[in-house]
Amino acid sequence: MNKKADGKIISIYWFIILVVVAGGVFLMVSLYYSSPYDVRDIEADLLSEKIANCISYQGDLNSNLISDAGIFKEAFIDHFLDECDININPVGQWEKPQYYFEVNFYKFEDSRAIILNISEGDINFKSDCEIKDKKYENLVVCSKKEFYTRGFGENVYLIKILSVVRKTEQNVK
Amino acid sequence: MRKKRGEILIENIIFIILNLVFFGILVLFLINQGSGSIFLEKFYAKQVALLIDSSSPGTVMKLNMEEPMKVAEKNGITFDQIVKINGTEVTVSLKDKSSYSYSFFNDVKINKYTEDVYYIFVIEEKV
Repeated sequence: MNKKADGKIISIYWFIILVVVAGGVFLMVSLYYSSPYDVRDIEADLLSEKIANCISYQGDLNSNLISDAGIFKEAFIDHFLDECDININPVGQWEKPQYYFEVNFYKFEDSRAIILNISEGDINFKSDCEIKDKKYENLVVCSKKEFYTRGFGENVYLIKILSVVRKTEQNVK
Repeated sequence: MRKKRGEILIENIIFIILNLVFFGILVLFLINQGSGSIFLEKFYAKQVALLIDSSSPGTVMKLNMEEPMKVAEKNGITFDQIVKINGTEVTVSLKDKSSYSYSFFNDVKINKYTEDVYYIFVIEEKV
């Protein structure tokens, strides 16, 4: 009689353990699958790469950007997005652009003075890159790249690219 | 004596069956979560958008979409209706009245067609 009673108690405990384990598994799996993949770091890197490939090809500055006299061409700068096949206009659920990028050109000899700046998108995102607070660190994802390229003649330029992607609602829970 | 042995056997069988049912439900839950239409819609919309962003004119991309194809077919969606590209936005739909869209920045012309379980994207320069 006692053995039978013991067996029932063990069964009850066994099911309590099962329910606890199942609850834990359910919670963890639900949390994992309900939180979206954050792909913005890849997207920001791809945007930087796209811009870099448009500005410079095989180490030489794009001939549409700089003239033989070493002067930057306004037409290319004014239509930078079209020239580089980039479209950052808001689509679908977005009312404002979700991207910002900035390209700064420096002379090789002086990497402090910006000689040309090209930027597009929502400039407010730039300051979000500097936020260190954990609560707001997922607001935007930023990618910084820099490289040297040959211009006209012996001129060498340092190019710094900053790309920022927002799309917070689609990438962060 | 015979009756007692019979009771123990039935109790054990019920216990084992309940355990099996329990673990069966758990396994089914895990499988369903991983192959749920909402999860796959998000996954493939982002994947296609990133593939387009990383491509340049002249690129041909072949994407295996066997898993979403099976889910879509169960829900009455034909294979060629799964991925739609409108301007710079990819929309993946695996269920009636359900879809997920993700935008891309690469301003290119995209031609797509299906072949077996693959989606083929041909990237061309916009005229």
